Amino acid sequence: MPLRQVREVMGMPVTIHVADDNPAASEGVDEAFADFVLLDRTFSPFLADSLLSRINRGELAVSESGALVQQALDLCRHYERATRGYFSAWPHGRLEPSGLVKGWAIDRACSILDRRGCRHYFVDAGGDVQTRGSSDTGGPWRVGIRHPVDRGDVVRVILAADLAVATSGTYEKGAHIVNPHTGKPAEDWLSFTVVGPDILTADICATAAFAMGDEGLGFIEAMPGFEAYAIERNLVARWTAGFDAFCAAPDRS
Amino acid sequence: MKRATIAVVATVAGVAWILGFKVTPHSTGLASAGSPQPSPTAEPASPATGSPGPSPTPTPKAGGVNGTFTGSDVPNRFGDVQIKVVISNGHIADVQALQLPTDRAQSAYISQVAGPILRSEVIQAQSARIDIVSGATYTSESYAQSVQSALQQAHLG
Repeated sequence: MPLRQVREVMGMPVTIHVADDNPAASEGVDEAFADFVLLDRTFSPFLADSLLSRINRGELAVSESGALVQQALDLCRHYERATRGYFSAWPHGRLEPSGLVKGWAIDRACSILDRRGCRHYFVDAGGDVQTRGSSDTGGPWRVGIRHPVDRGDVVRVILAADLAVATSGTYEKGAHIVNPHTGKPAEDWLSFTVVGPDILTADICATAAFAMGDEGLGFIEAMPGFEAYAIERNLVARWTAGFDAFCAAPDRS
Repeated sequence: MKRATIAVVATVAGVAWILGFKVTPHSTGLASAGSPQPSPTAEPASPATGSPGPSPTPTPKAGGVNGTFTGSDVPNRFGDVQIKVVISNGHIADVQALQLPTDRAQSAYISQVAGPILRSEVIQAQSARIDIVSGATYTSESYAQSVQSALQQAHLG
C-alpha cells in the first residue's frame, strides 16, 4: 500500500507520497516532515524567535548561528553567482533566504527518505516537486503544469522519473517576483516551469528565470539537464528545445 | 538552418498575434516541422476600442456554454488589458489578448525576432490523468479581472 501524508508547513501544503512497500517508510515520512518544521522554525521571517529573525534584528551574529544557517548561506552565495544575481538572499539588505528554503527542504526530505531505503516516492511542497522512481502504477510520475486561468486543468503533463519540477509565478498572496537588478516586479511571464534533476536548482532557477524576463528561457536552455516551459501573459507558451522529450503526448479530448 | 526556419516562422506567428489575429495551436506544430509557411486560421479580432461593451456571440449547443466573450478593458499602470475568451462545452478553449500595454507588445515582438524562440503555442487545457500539479495559482490582477468579466458574460464566472 502506498503511504501518503499531507501537512501544512511553511504556510503551504506539503505532500509526501511513498509508493514503496517499505516498513521503514512511515518513520522516514515523519522524519522528513520534522525536518521541514526544523527549517521553518530556523528560517521563518514570520516567527519572531527564528534564528533568521534574530539575525535580522541584530541580536545574533551569523558566525554564531550554527551549521544549518552557515550551510544555507553557502548555498545562497552559490546560487546568487550561478544566476548572475537574479536569485538573491539579500534583496533588501536583509537576509531573506525563503527562495532557497523550500527547495532545500524538499531536497533534504528526499535524502531522509533515501536513507530509509525508499526508492519510489515524491515530495511536493506548494506545487514544487521532486520525484524518485516510479508511481503506484509502475509508470513514471505524471506531473501536470497548471493552466494559469482554467485552474482545474493542466496544459502539459511531464513524465517524471527521478525528476524535479518547479513553477514560479505571481502568487495569490500578492507576492511579486522582483527583478533584483531593477527593483521592479517581473511582468513578462504568468508562470515559468523548470524541469531538471534536482529540485533545489530547479526551484531557484525557475524564480531567477522568471525575474530575468525574456532572457529567462535562454538562461535555462544553457543549463545542461534542465528544460523550461514558460507561459506569457497572452497565454502563449514558449519552451526550450529539450522540453518536449519530458512530456506525455497531449490529451485534448 | 533549421533553427533559422523556426525563427522566421515564429516571427510570423508572433506578428500575427500582436496584430490581433487568432493563431491556432496547430500552426506552431508546423513551425517545429520546418514548414516554410504557417497556415494559421486567421480571423480579425474585434477592434480594441476603449468601450468595454460585451460582444458575446454564443452558439447554443448541448453539453454546456459555447461562444466567444470579451472581457472589460481593465487598466493597469502599464496600459490597458483586454481579454477575449472562447468557451467550448462550458470550458475555456482559448484565451486571447485583444489589448496589452504597448511596450509589452513591442518587447514581445522584439523577443519573437531576437529571443531564443524554439517552440510556441497558445496553451490548451487538457484533462489528463496526473499524480501531481505544479503551478503558480494566480495571475496579475487586471489580467484575471478581464478574464473573469468574460467568464461572467458566459455565466461561468
